[in-house]
Amino acid sequence: MSRRNERALVRPHVVTGGRAHPSRNVFDLVTLVISAGDLPRTGLSPEKLRIVELCRGGALSVVEIAGHLSLPVGVTKVLLSDLVDSGHLATRAPAQAAPTSRTRLLQEVLDGLRASL
Amino acid sequence: MVQILLAAALVVVAAAGVAAAVQLARQRRLTAELRDQNAALAAGVELRDKELRHLAGVRLPELMESLHNPGMRVAGPLHDLTRKAPAFGQSLQTVMDLFAGSAERVRERADQSAKSTLRAMMRAVQSLANEQQLAISTMQERHDDPDVLDGLLRIDHMNAQLGRRAQATAVLCGSWPGQQRSASSMTDVVRGATSRIRDYLRVNLEGPVNVAVTARAVEPVVLTLAELLDNAARHSRPDTNVEVNFRTAHNGVAITIDDAGVAMDAEELQRAAELLSGEASVDVHRLGDPPRVGFAVAGVLAARYGFTVSVDSRSPYGGVRAVVFVPDELLTEVADDPRARPAASNGGGERARAADAADVPSTRHGLPKRSRVAVADRAAEPEEPDAADPASWAEPVRPPRETAAGLGAWQRGTRSGRAGTPAAGTPVPPPGVEGKDLRP
Repeated sequence: MSRRNERALVRPHVVTGGRAHPSRNVFDLVTLVISAGDLPRTGLSPEKLRIVELCRGGALSVVEIAGHLSLPVGVTKVLLSDLVDSGHLATRAPAQAAPTSRTRLLQEVLDGLRASL
Repeated sequence: MVQILLAAALVVVAAAGVAAAVQLARQRRLTAELRDQNAALAAGVELRDKELRHLAGVRLPELMESLHNPGMRVAGPLHDLTRKAPAFGQSLQTVMDLFAGSAERVRERADQSAKSTLRAMMRAVQSLANEQQLAISTMQERHDDPDVLDGLLRIDHMNAQLGRRAQATAVLCGSWPGQQRSASSMTDVVRGATSRIRDYLRVNLEGPVNVAVTARAVEPVVLTLAELLDNAARHSRPDTNVEVNFRTAHNGVAITIDDAGVAMDAEELQRAAELLSGEASVDVHRLGDPPRVGFAVAGVLAARYGFTVSVDSRSPYGGVRAVVFVPDELLTEVADDPRARPAASNGGGERARAADAADVPSTRHGLPKRSRVAVADRAAEPEEPDAADPASWAEPVRPPRETAAGLGAWQRGTRSGRAGTPAAGTPVPPPGVEGKDLRP
């Protein structure tokens, strides 16, 4: 936590090479990321290496990775989309919500409430 | 009788004539002597005249010039004064010395006051830049929109350069680099320096090196590298790269910065070596416009912190190779970064569970045995998992038996506290007070 207060030595523009737009727009805060295969890691920046290392144990969400790296989420997304492009990582969509229609659910809740009155 | 008189008169006349002739000869000799003396005096006066004119017209202006430009030679007297007019020569030398001394003092005083003013101004700029950086970091955390982030990255970059300029100027004026940092890996140090220059995208860092820079030396090394990288990028074509490499030596690590720009000529090299040695005091009036502070800053910091900077070798790409040698005294081991471990949720959860099971005593048949946990044992238990570690979120932060033990301890403490209370009437501390420090 103290790292947040301390001014980071390596500024985010160097981490992403000045880019703020991720190459793919598939990430939100809870998108799960897992490592995909054992690709060679040469040429990866220290932050990317750390992400690959972090994801080795299983799936992590975008916001968790950002927390581990003490980097802004936007910057983390740029790095993650690079890693997905290079094949080091794969994304896994979060579990789908139950396909109940909204109005039916609300109707059932309303009925239940009325019944209990 | 007449004859005798005539003879006497003749003798008198002859004597008078002889006397007159002698007198004339003496006169003539005297006149010649006087004329010689006169000529010598006139020559002396002329010599002094000329010397004074020379002093006022040539020697003093040159002396003044030489104070600003140490390489310049000051003309000596026109004549050999030690032989012709020793006392006069001495006086002239005294005038010169006094003049030089007072000019030097005036210059020093002006330099000191300029430096202290600049230092105070730069301190204000530096603290503003630091505050701004914090504000930018906060905004970067808060805004997820790539367009906003794009702007923020650009502002961050400019702010980093602004901070570096202020810091470099402050260092030149005798201030400390400021900014406490923790020990950082060599790679982070170079990338930190890269963040502070305009053309950061052209810097190419090769190969990691497994050492870190001690906390004390991080900021000075970063600032030195930033100035050298900026120089390298500034003096090479925009489509070329600036290469940074590490060489491990037996008593330290050398960081080489190669650019593909133009090499320096002999005079520039000599001036650079002088500045980089850190021995020459830096004169803020002679930095030029635009001020060239890079080597001066590197020299000051190198001398103060005990690393060395040299630029005397040629880069294989044709430009300049700058070498920063960081000795072992300023290096340390790379701290084991806890964030480097795999931290995915499921793996971490399993580990925690396994660790939990290990210290629970079990029955003969392998079933876990319940046991009371003494409060004192708590200290020996593994450290509570970091709340920031998402691995621990999957598991309850505190195992139930620990919670139970805590409650038990609280109750025991309350009971013993009540039992120990002498008599009613004396203020009794609320039971929560003893319990509080027992609670984890």
